[in-house]
Amino acid sequence: MKKYILVIFLVLISTSMIFSAETLSVLMPIGGGYTIEDQEAIAKEFEKENPNVKIEMEFVGWDNLWNKIVTSIGSGSAPDVMYIASRWIPSLVDMGALTPLDKYISEEKKAMYYDSVWDSVQYKDNYWGVVRAMSTKAFIYNKDLFEKHDVEVPTNWEELLEAAKKLHNPKFDVYGIGMAGKRFVSTVTQFLHYLFANDGAIVDSEGNAIINNENGIEALEFYNTLANYAQPGMLEWKREDLIKLFETGRVAMYIDHYHNAKTAREKGINVGLFPIPKGPKGTQPYSTAIVTDCISISAQTDKKELAVEFLNYMTTFEKQKEWDLKLGFVPPMIKEKDLPEFQTELWQPYIKAIEYGKSQSKGVMDWTGTEQAILDAIQQVLLEQGSAQEALDSTAYIINLLQ
Amino acid sequence: MYKKSSAYILIIPLIIAFCILIGWPLINVVKNSFYEATFLNPAQKTFTGWRNYTWLFTFKYPTPNISYFVAAFSRSLFWVACSVLIKVIIGLLAAVLLNSEYLYGKKIYRSLLIIPWAIPWAMAAMMWAWTLNGQFGIINSILLNLHIIEQPVSFLSTNASAFITTFIVDAWVGLPFMVIMLISGLQSIPDSLYEAADLDGAGDIRKFFRITIPMIKPVLLTVSLLSMVWTFNSFDIIWVLTQGGPARATETLPIAIYNTSFRMIRLGGIGKASAMTIMQVMVVTIISVFYIKTMQESEPK
Repeated sequence: MKKYILVIFLVLISTSMIFSAETLSVLMPIGGGYTIEDQEAIAKEFEKENPNVKIEMEFVGWDNLWNKIVTSIGSGSAPDVMYIASRWIPSLVDMGALTPLDKYISEEKKAMYYDSVWDSVQYKDNYWGVVRAMSTKAFIYNKDLFEKHDVEVPTNWEELLEAAKKLHNPKFDVYGIGMAGKRFVSTVTQFLHYLFANDGAIVDSEGNAIINNENGIEALEFYNTLANYAQPGMLEWKREDLIKLFETGRVAMYIDHYHNAKTAREKGINVGLFPIPKGPKGTQPYSTAIVTDCISISAQTDKKELAVEFLNYMTTFEKQKEWDLKLGFVPPMIKEKDLPEFQTELWQPYIKAIEYGKSQSKGVMDWTGTEQAILDAIQQVLLEQGSAQEALDSTAYIINLLQ
Repeated sequence: MYKKSSAYILIIPLIIAFCILIGWPLINVVKNSFYEATFLNPAQKTFTGWRNYTWLFTFKYPTPNISYFVAAFSRSLFWVACSVLIKVIIGLLAAVLLNSEYLYGKKIYRSLLIIPWAIPWAMAAMMWAWTLNGQFGIINSILLNLHIIEQPVSFLSTNASAFITTFIVDAWVGLPFMVIMLISGLQSIPDSLYEAADLDGAGDIRKFFRITIPMIKPVLLTVSLLSMVWTFNSFDIIWVLTQGGPARATETLPIAIYNTSFRMIRLGGIGKASAMTIMQVMVVTIISVFYIKTMQESEPK
């Protein structure tokens, strides 16, 4: 009899322990370097240190992340913690989907990141996320091809165009430059590098569309001119796939992440890097669009304190460093840049780019709508369905409706 | 002797399932089409009456000449017509071939035929995206080696070629169903009809048009109706291949509805997307009713 009582007692205790454990739901992306194992490892470590907490991670591919967030918020079942692209913040905030994090971010934490990093998660004077991943871009080039054709590293658009012309040899399936034109978010970012290089912007500080000013038109015209020396059928290529052309020696240069430069080198390409050069109206020597992703807390959660604790756990210096090195992201924390691991010739151009980079979506209120309007302009010009001026005027009209 | 009411009792589970799975969502879509709302905050709705429906014809985007909805709708009609036509014509020819008494290894061909239908559609589209790729695709490689083309063709990079390519891939995926159903139709034709025609000295073509086609007409109309409805709703293939591009050349109605609800949250929203959906449901229903009437007329009296 005593035995039974003991067993029942133990069962009750263990059940009550299970039920007393607090569960935190977390939405994370997969793909583009993010793996389930890496992210679950962090959750397991956190659970180990906090035995009363259960982290329930849900994984969604990058392509479906936006839809997942939107539908789960709409149905009132948003995860407590969400990994989001920072460009979505204005749309999500305007719909009351996120928790402002100002009171949870210590001065010490603030000082750990670059100002431009905080800029990317700031909207209406509040912070809505803590940056988890950052990227800047640079030109990755095939040193052997450059040497063979006696081409110097370009420092402005004129030289860039000349280089692409010289290197372009379609008869032998070698193209001067790899470019993106597919209907995809990264195609917009590829164009933004040129827009920013010519001192252009999507919107001005008051939120009015200025993408169709002289700088913008010149940037889109240049993108179209450069396309003459790109791989054929540019409209079926997105930036993520261009590595396949580069690592097989079929394009001489293209704009991409650090991790693809590394991949190409590992595959035997003699890889060199140069920053994206300025355009005729550029005021800075180089350009890059800075893209960040962040961790945000849902406005629907009733576990804010725990969510903040987990968010802080994920973004300690040690964890961030480990993450950036593992996935090949540009370090968003200032101190990281001094680490010996980041002093390599492949890393340095990406880290230096932070100082002249501009946030991909600064001032843009509705990214998804704006992205579509910019893609329309890019594709119309590439398909010769209209001039850069006409295409960007129509884009600016749409952006102003969205702002 | 069964009571008449027992029949109704037996179909109650079906009616309940119908109400939950089809009726309720449809009522919601109709209701939403009269409201201004977005997915992000569906609780905050404003009644707008018919405004979402007038928006369908007044919102001209991205070109000022034609409304976004009308452009997507007409594109959809043309796309569906092309895809279904391919499925019906090639499906019929393939079914006749696979039903032929002179063909050896019919079972193997029929098993192979089911593969496109068995692969998840999104995967099939991914496979085609690389097969058709201008630089690495096997189709270009074959055409170049056979000296049919001198330069690689980028199938998905111009408006016309992307439009054609997407409906061909859609037809490829939908073809097996068509063929299998038509084969079953062909097998139900009594041999005596052909034997009688042979005695009368009818040729193969005459037999095909005078016996085969009239006999399988009900099956043909049924499967083409189903195919039309499915093709109207086809989303995965276009989404994976082009996302509606280039320059919206393949943005059919399902893609436009998706874009309106998820990608144009401020300009669009659930209300407007629901209005678009209702229009599509209405058109598909009208075509279906017309089809069903034709089917009933073709049935032997």
